[in-house]
Amino acid sequence: MEPISWTGFWIIFGICALTILACRVLPLFLLKGRELPPRVTEALGFIPSAAFAALVANDLLTPGMFDAGIWPAAAPLVAALAVVIVARLSKSLLWSAVVGVAVYAALIYLF
Amino acid sequence: MFTSENIKPAFKAAIPIMLGYVAIGIPCGILSSSIGLDAVQVFLMCALFYSGAGQFMIPNMWLAASPIASIIASVSFVNTRQMLYSAAFAPWCEGVSKKLAFWFSATVTDESFGVNTKMFEQGGWSVERATFVNVFSQSSWTVSCVVGVLVGNAIGIPLAIAAFAMTSIFICLLVTQKLTSANVVAAVCAMVGVFACKLVGLSGPAIFFGAIIGVVCAIIFSRVREKVS
Repeated sequence: MEPISWTGFWIIFGICALTILACRVLPLFLLKGRELPPRVTEALGFIPSAAFAALVANDLLTPGMFDAGIWPAAAPLVAALAVVIVARLSKSLLWSAVVGVAVYAALIYLF
Repeated sequence: MFTSENIKPAFKAAIPIMLGYVAIGIPCGILSSSIGLDAVQVFLMCALFYSGAGQFMIPNMWLAASPIASIIASVSFVNTRQMLYSAAFAPWCEGVSKKLAFWFSATVTDESFGVNTKMFEQGGWSVERATFVNVFSQSSWTVSCVVGVLVGNAIGIPLAIAAFAMTSIFICLLVTQKLTSANVVAAVCAMVGVFACKLVGLSGPAIFFGAIIGVVCAIIFSRVREKVS
């Protein structure tokens, strides 16, 4: 893996910073006192679930993930299951992260 | 604005977020340093970009050799959810100066959105206080990430374990979404979409396309359900 260059950094950082700023600021200034069209609101409302699910799947699922044996691929899935339980019970990002890392580390080092 | 009447309750409300950001910010700094980002670059990202998901995604996708265009598209797409938060806060910013409204909206995150929404609904909350919640949270995030960069090599936490902190955060954010049937369709289809993208060799933009597939499927599901009922 090549370290990221300053040029690469400025391109990624600059564009991402501008797009997130636009997403954060523009709707508030454009929609003061107005309601979003219901269809648009509905579509935007699906983004968090879809995006977080895609991120989770990207981290946990890969074709051929069990080729090197069941345990190397199953360990993060088991840790993820523990996080699901903690997240449902506590609704805490902090506890989810702590338990996730602890369980994952324990599974890797103990088995 | 800068009175103890605003700062004290805002700090109290921000404490859970700040502690959470310490736990997540340090691994984020470590992960960032692993792809060659230095403390100045990470500070700039925290100060001007300020996106936990985005700042974890960039190193993760860079490590996965994703093309730059794919990283930008995926990170930007994930951050479009900020539009919802911004739109939701619009009524609370009626009559607020443009400068304050800009500062407030530019520093909203998933967590501060949750805390400030709750406080606004309880009453007795103001955009000034909400902005301080954002600023305290961002300060904690920035310091933690920079510390993570500085101590990263000394600590030597295995990357896979540090990165699992954010996987855990994404899982928590996912399972605490409203459990509607359309949201479940969006999530399941997004996961299938990511896996399918990887299966056909599109690992780079898998998150971006997977999420789009999820949203499209949820919209179709909603329309079909409307017609049936």
